Amino acid sequence: MDINTLLQGIIALLAILLLAPLFAGVINKQKAIFTGRIGAPVVQPYYELKRLLRKETINAGSSSFISDISPAVNLIAMVVAAAMLPVGFMKPLISFEGDIILFAYVLGLARFFQILAAMDIGSSFEGMGASREATFAVFAEPIFFFTIGSVAFADNLTSIYDIYHSIKLNNVTYIVFIVVCSISVLILAVTECSRMPIDDPNTHLELTMIHEVMILDNSGVDLFLYQYSSYVKLCIYAIVEASLFYPFAVQNSYVAVIIFLVVIAALATTLAVVETVTARFKLKFVPQYLLFATAIGVLNLLIYTFTK
Amino acid sequence: MQNVLSIIFCLSLFYLAVTSRVKTYVTVLQLQGIILTVLLLYPLIEHFSVPALILPATLFIVKVYLIPKYIKKILLDLDIKRIIEPTIQQFSFLLLVIFTMTVIFVASNILSKSTGIETIPFASGFSAVAVGMFIIIFRKKLIIHVAGFLVLENGIFLFGSTIASKLPMMIELGSLLDIFVVVFLMGIALNKISSTLSGFEVTALRRLKD
Amino acid sequence: MLLLAILLPLTAAAAFYFVQSIRAQYYISLLVSVLHLAFSFSLFMGWYHPGEFILFSADSLSQLILLVLSNVYFWVVLVSLAYLRRREISHSVSGRRYYFLLLNFYLFANTAAILSNNFGMYWVASEATTLSVAPLIYYYRNEEALEAMWKYLFLVSLGIAFAFIGILFLMLSSNGTVLEGKQLFFTEFAKNSVLLNPIWLKASFIFIFVGLSTKIGIAPMHAADVDATSNSPSPVAALMAGSLRITALLGVMRIFQIVTPSSVHGFARTILIMGGLLSLFVAFVFMFKVKNYKRLLAYSSVEHLGIITLGIGIGGLAFIGAMYHIVYNSMCKVVLFFIAGNVHREFKTREIAGVSSVINLMPWTGWLFLLAFFAISAIPPFGIFFSELMIFEGMLFSGKPWVLVITMFFMLFIFINMGRALFQMLYRKSEHEKILNEPERFDITHFASIVLLIAVIVVAVVSPEILREHILSISKDFGIKL
Repeated sequence: MDINTLLQGIIALLAILLLAPLFAGVINKQKAIFTGRIGAPVVQPYYELKRLLRKETINAGSSSFISDISPAVNLIAMVVAAAMLPVGFMKPLISFEGDIILFAYVLGLARFFQILAAMDIGSSFEGMGASREATFAVFAEPIFFFTIGSVAFADNLTSIYDIYHSIKLNNVTYIVFIVVCSISVLILAVTECSRMPIDDPNTHLELTMIHEVMILDNSGVDLFLYQYSSYVKLCIYAIVEASLFYPFAVQNSYVAVIIFLVVIAALATTLAVVETVTARFKLKFVPQYLLFATAIGVLNLLIYTFTK
Repeated sequence: MQNVLSIIFCLSLFYLAVTSRVKTYVTVLQLQGIILTVLLLYPLIEHFSVPALILPATLFIVKVYLIPKYIKKILLDLDIKRIIEPTIQQFSFLLLVIFTMTVIFVASNILSKSTGIETIPFASGFSAVAVGMFIIIFRKKLIIHVAGFLVLENGIFLFGSTIASKLPMMIELGSLLDIFVVVFLMGIALNKISSTLSGFEVTALRRLKD
Repeated sequence: MLLLAILLPLTAAAAFYFVQSIRAQYYISLLVSVLHLAFSFSLFMGWYHPGEFILFSADSLSQLILLVLSNVYFWVVLVSLAYLRRREISHSVSGRRYYFLLLNFYLFANTAAILSNNFGMYWVASEATTLSVAPLIYYYRNEEALEAMWKYLFLVSLGIAFAFIGILFLMLSSNGTVLEGKQLFFTEFAKNSVLLNPIWLKASFIFIFVGLSTKIGIAPMHAADVDATSNSPSPVAALMAGSLRITALLGVMRIFQIVTPSSVHGFARTILIMGGLLSLFVAFVFMFKVKNYKRLLAYSSVEHLGIITLGIGIGGLAFIGAMYHIVYNSMCKVVLFFIAGNVHREFKTREIAGVSSVINLMPWTGWLFLLAFFAISAIPPFGIFFSELMIFEGMLFSGKPWVLVITMFFMLFIFINMGRALFQMLYRKSEHEKILNEPERFDITHFASIVLLIAVIVVAVVSPEILREHILSISKDFGIKL
């Protein structure tokens, strides 16, 4: 790898890490505007994170070493995953054959440790959140593999960068394919990052919490690491969604970056609109909802394979 | 273009499989009617001729306007409950639909290597037939059975229009005749059922069992 | 001239919109049915050779089945007036108004279906027969009739949609060959069927068979027909059992005729044999638990059509026996349903347990019921004995004698069950002895039954040459060599 790509990759990674809270802040601001409030400033998440650094970390007496290492493992996993994404359609820092599996399961590792840490605290609130998270993760996993994997399957490519770069804009079928895929990945993003209509990040009630409840008893640096990881995760999924629009940006790398930023902004707006407009699903409908996204993915796989 | 329309058609089938509102069935039927009309209109872009416009126009009027209006009128008259109660879980139903659709797509891919049919519209039409049958088997309300039958007819129409390039008239006329008369009579029958029997579930139709 | 025969009932039906009196309608229908019978009889005897009209033609199979239809229809119309005049049926005034109109429309549709030589025309005419029969089922206007009509209409329409898919597959199998776009004429397809694509031909056969089996009333989809036949008024049930099923069977035979010269022939025969055996099995199982004598007769219809299908599938001598069986079965079934209608009128119930000592109370009906039971159970000298003998002989000499064993096992128990139910109805003395106001009068149903039973004996014993010629020419069409 030459120095240029290496530099590009590092800049991309730093961009994600630094700008992730900004993305969340933009979404919150737009939500506030839609509901008629002025809302917090866009950089509010940074202030939150800074405030958390000053507080002290308290762990439950019955907790083990899991609670100590889990926040750090989360953050490291997010950083590794972020390093594998093609930001602005440029080649990512970590890219090799088969890295799609690594990507999916590094995120899975983060989720695994989070669930363990939640159960480790010993309170029933966190146990409830852990069980819900585990159930939904089971149904959400096939979505990723069926949507992105359909391209991988048809072309025998297994690197994320190659997969995204092989989506060509030949005819109308591919445009429909991309549109349908992006709906699927949007549903996936909403599930993984615990946004509406799966989970409500605003209310902290027993009925509605999945992600929030797992970190209910954490504080200080631990909470800082968890919150920051969740912002980065949201950013990662946004980039996964936006990179599906790669074929629109083949010409020029500056145009590519601009288009990328535009798509990310549009995605933020979409998320804000969806969160304002929809109500939360009954929990028993969530597996069905996720199966619907998987069904779309399966359909994509079938059509993509059989149009070749 | 046929592929794109078939994809949207299949997505509408998935949506039918997960929904639990009765009105959604009517809306999805309208959407399918629009898809089929566009499918018929597409070859007209090249050689345009006014007589060939009659068939898509009738199709549009019947499937998108008349039949949904008729069903909605029945829903209103008979005051049918808005939620359907399925016989099996929604989740298993969707799983069954996905599995069947995969099997059909793979089978039609294998078949298309030996005969000259286009895989995707054929498979979409056939999976609509299968989904229509599943709706009839697994749902309890009678009006939903009628909707399932209409989905089945839509499926026949879709894959019939891709097969018979030489005899388009016969197939479409046959389908239209079938739908028209059947829905008409079913409406009359349902009206009579409403005034004599108490419910609209198939479970009420138990008198004739051995 | 063919077209005239088809259109005459239609004009009669249209005229009934204006003619309101039931008597007038009856006489006009009777006239139409006599003319129709004369026409099909002359066609059958070869006194008249019509040419081919577009979409319609009459080969041996059509002529035979047309004669069967005309015969059944004539007798049904004959007894209709007496049936409609019964004062006991109170809330069917509206049913009475449309009865003859629907009957004539049925005749029109059925004739068109039988005389068609194009699958498309056959399909449209089949749909029309379903639509004309369904309101007739609802004649009594009560809940069970409604349910029967709904199930029949729905399931048979579903079956017809499946048959349509089968026809589409048939068109697909002709892609790329000489036959492409030839509008599905039977004769063209039968001559060139080796050119057709076998995969699609197989699929087409299965779909048409399964789809039409709802109408024929054999397994796998017999339920709707059984329900409908047991809940409709007796003339309508006789009509359905005698002629509607046979027309649907005609469709299956046409696709079988197309398939015969090709490589799918063995597959098609297996499917037919399996269908026949399954119907026998279904009749066997359900006869044990049936409590309603009209349903008993409906399952007996399932059994006999299963035997016919089995005969067609086995081929050879069994095929010829099946053709004879079509003729005899329809006549015997008509008799049975007429008699059952009489019993229903007196005892007002369809349960077997509610009917007792018919032989004492209604001697004409009782004895005719007994004779009709003997007829349908293949006791000589009634014709069914001879046709079933031929079928069994064909089964024995085909390569599959185990089919014969299974068939006879099922039929033994069916005979036992049916006999048990019947003898209970005829001879059992119950505690509440029913007292009739007057001794039973000899009416037109008895007349019709006597004539038909005598006809069954006469046709079987005399075995007219013209019938034999027709059946032999049909089997030649189907590739059967003796």
